[in-house]
Amino acid sequence: MLWALGLWLALFFAPLAAGRFTVYLLGVILVTGLLAMSLNLLVGHGGAYQFHHGAFYGVGAYTAALLITKTSLPAWVGLAAGPLAAAFAGLMIGSLCIRLNKLYFGMIQISLGSLLWILALRWYDLTNGDDGIHGIPLPEALSGSGSAFTFLLAVVGVCLLAMHRILESPFGTTLRAIRDNPQRCAAVGIHVRRHQLTAIVIATFFAGVAGVLFVVLEGSVFPDMLFWVLSLEIFIMCLLGGWFTFLGPMLGAAIIVLLRTVVGGFTEYWTLILGVVLILLIFFLPEGIMGAGHRLRLYRRRAAGPPSRGGDRAAG
Amino acid sequence: MESSFSLAAFLGQFLVGLSRAMILFIVASGLSFILGVLRVPNVAHGSLYMIGAFAAHAIATALGNHPAGFWAAMVGAPLIVGGISLAAERLLFRHLYEREHLMLLLFTFGLALILGDLTKMTWGADYRSIVPPPFLQGSLDVLGTALPRYNLFLLLVGPAVAVALWLVSAKTRFGKIARAAAVDREMVGAIGIHVSWVFAWAFVLGCMLAGLGGALVSPTISVTLGMDHTIIIEAFLIVTIGGLGNIWGALVGSLLFGVTQSLGVLVLPQFAIVFPYLAVVLILTFKPTGLLRSVW
Amino acid sequence: MKSQGFISRGLVGVLAAAVVVAGITGGAEARNIKVGIVDTYSGPPAVFGNDALNGFKMAVEEINRQGILGGKIEFVTRDDKFKVDIGLNMAKELALKENVDVIVGVVNSGVALAISDAVAKKEKIPFFTWMGKSANITGKAGHRYVFSTTENTAMATKAAATVLARKPFLRIWVAGDDYEYGHALDDSFTHYLKQLRPEVEFLGRTWWKLGEPDLVPYFTSIQAAKPDLVHFCTGGASMANVLKTIQATGLHRNTAIYIHTAIDYAVLKPLGLNAPEGVMGTMDYLFYYPEMSSHQKFVKDFQARYKTPPGFPAYHAFLTAQFIAEGFRKAGKIDREAFIDALEGLKVDSPVGKVEMRACDHQAVLPIYFGTTRLSQEHQAAVAADILTLRGAEVMPTCEEVLGARK
Repeated sequence: MLWALGLWLALFFAPLAAGRFTVYLLGVILVTGLLAMSLNLLVGHGGAYQFHHGAFYGVGAYTAALLITKTSLPAWVGLAAGPLAAAFAGLMIGSLCIRLNKLYFGMIQISLGSLLWILALRWYDLTNGDDGIHGIPLPEALSGSGSAFTFLLAVVGVCLLAMHRILESPFGTTLRAIRDNPQRCAAVGIHVRRHQLTAIVIATFFAGVAGVLFVVLEGSVFPDMLFWVLSLEIFIMCLLGGWFTFLGPMLGAAIIVLLRTVVGGFTEYWTLILGVVLILLIFFLPEGIMGAGHRLRLYRRRAAGPPSRGGDRAAG
Repeated sequence: MESSFSLAAFLGQFLVGLSRAMILFIVASGLSFILGVLRVPNVAHGSLYMIGAFAAHAIATALGNHPAGFWAAMVGAPLIVGGISLAAERLLFRHLYEREHLMLLLFTFGLALILGDLTKMTWGADYRSIVPPPFLQGSLDVLGTALPRYNLFLLLVGPAVAVALWLVSAKTRFGKIARAAAVDREMVGAIGIHVSWVFAWAFVLGCMLAGLGGALVSPTISVTLGMDHTIIIEAFLIVTIGGLGNIWGALVGSLLFGVTQSLGVLVLPQFAIVFPYLAVVLILTFKPTGLLRSVW
Repeated sequence: MKSQGFISRGLVGVLAAAVVVAGITGGAEARNIKVGIVDTYSGPPAVFGNDALNGFKMAVEEINRQGILGGKIEFVTRDDKFKVDIGLNMAKELALKENVDVIVGVVNSGVALAISDAVAKKEKIPFFTWMGKSANITGKAGHRYVFSTTENTAMATKAAATVLARKPFLRIWVAGDDYEYGHALDDSFTHYLKQLRPEVEFLGRTWWKLGEPDLVPYFTSIQAAKPDLVHFCTGGASMANVLKTIQATGLHRNTAIYIHTAIDYAVLKPLGLNAPEGVMGTMDYLFYYPEMSSHQKFVKDFQARYKTPPGFPAYHAFLTAQFIAEGFRKAGKIDREAFIDALEGLKVDSPVGKVEMRACDHQAVLPIYFGTTRLSQEHQAAVAADILTLRGAEVMPTCEEVLGARK
């Protein structure tokens, strides 16, 4: 974990050393990565079928955008309210989904999340519908691109630290136990649903933080942020980086964002490439890059014997 | 706002809602069938619906928009979609059945991404349109409302598909094995039945329904890229409120969806689209597993 | 192991590509003018993006034969996938990394507004939209760095209102796609028609979700109200759905219908001889009208190259290229501020006559054609008939109106 801390500190100097587009891309990676990590908290560690996580990202972003542009409240209030609204939406939708298992959980979530999308798309008096809201004014301290990046990096750092603490806490251990065997957990007296609901609220809160950071980065929000396609794209990032590792989704987000920017510039068939990458991953690298790396290290350490089983234990 | 709220207008609107529900049903029943047997929410279902529409257009155009071309398209397009889904299942999908559901879902998403771009490579981005045969063009006067003949035709096709699907799943050996395999595949395998092929044909049958839906809808809309994204969410909602994997649930869900929206237009046109979604929220709040019994 | 090889090789490839892209910064002296195109090349709107690109390519080839200030126009394209975040991402890349001199393109009004604010205004890079039809782009949200070379919702509906106010239509119904574009058309048309003819009555409004597959239920409820005129606020793919439903329900036989861009060939061609006749529509470009020699030559050249007649995006992109070339020639140097100063009030040649870039709001002064669909055996499709031409100056909001809205 020490190298991650070092990398994080080093990134604070990025605006001095790197070009502006590089800094912007780093910002996109951090925001997307935070979103992917918040999803992984539920899927990789919690075993929940959180199929429409993007909806909460959108709720966070729209809340901030609407409070800033439609009310006279200070912009900081809007930025702070975003994650809270996302967590509240998480609580409401989560308590409906939590009554059911697995696939049903996922299907109902896609349905309810799509309702939020319809709302953003159709309540155009409030949300400008399809066009989205642009040119959202930010607090003075965040208006320079360098200072916005520093803020982003600081917030993402704090969030990662908090997520790490949560996963290392007894609560995190219980969550993983529930993922691996919910029946046994219930039998020993753990309130499974309450734990899962708490995890949903925590994860949607961080998704809301990512949404607010998107507003800081781009100054815009639009309905696509709540569309189901984005939610499944975040899954690809988690899968690519590694379900069962802490920083894997961040790595996955970095690779997808870079690929999209570089490859997207050369071909109009980016979606096709993404689909092929996804299917290759499912077949050949189901634990993701960091998961495979981790297994390789275990394998070497033991010097002999088969590697430990890991792949399909996921959200199963 | 003056909307004449007569009984005739109400009935006309109801019929139109029913005909809209038929397309939804054909697509959603395929999705539900795959869910029931394979337990996979097939995200690529929308893409196959789109391919069905494009293929129908290609066939109809190749036959010079002759009336026979329309019928050839209605038969040929689902077959093309069936071929694509059979290839995807045999080459890739079948190796994943032992994996957990999330991987299966993500696989179908990958398939959707690839099929979307392949459709564009094959057919391009132009708008396309199919002409129905002459006797299905124009409209009929039903209770003072001009109902397009094609919508009335859909009212006949929908129930026919429902009955056919019911016969296949309840009366044929294939249907019985498929349902049994969904409950306990080891057991069915143990008594010497080749489960893998049963799953393959179940997948292909479900996908062909998506293709048929796409072909049937093509004369009423413009066939374009992106039509996959709109249908899949509606199909998901319908299957969820109907009860996962339950074909009759898909029918109930489609009727609810089509008719609430159609009647919503009559009452409050501005917010018509919200009615089906409201119905979904209400149903899921009070009956989270859907209206009819889910098959699992 | 094989898979890991693939992934790690892929990673190396990504990093290598990133380094290469990072290397291409800055530019040479006596250099080329670099234009960055952000447009939609995937999904349904790709039909517009590709048409525009064809028009732009054709213009640039011709311009480069003479050269500009000793250099040429070069361009790079980026696909925004009709999505705002990707569009912004791409525009920022063009501005911050590729260091383009001008950004052009954009079908999606949402993307155009976002780029206009977050890239053009902030980075002080001239940005032309050749397809974004929201009147806000050069209206309320306009500024020094944004230009429009397409008509917009305000111009089209003011033209239509001018014509329709003279006809005996008093009871009007409005129906359309429930999104920004649809509502912008409605607001603007209703405003101008009421201004010109205060006694009109708006009976009701029907909105459906964008991409709604079956419109029949909406039509049956409109028919029940028996309006004189229905104003459909729609475009793109849903336009074809509306026209098909008009034909299927026979609405056009007892009601007058106006739809902006209903006379667009790209929309009418797929319907062939099955399109409804007598639907009124507006356009700012028709490849078969006006019949002047420069225009016929343009259409012939275009058809020879691309096997299809030019649509309005091709014309707009062609026009944009002329503005870029003439603007830099007049400025005499490759300087963004000088280029903008040169553009204001500049008149360039286009296949259908001279077009001016209005100085006050950076909106190209384009004529609007008002026509009615009629089946043509020659084109094997419906085309516009009885065409009326409304000059740009008649249909554009005045400078005072625009600048007032910006305040």
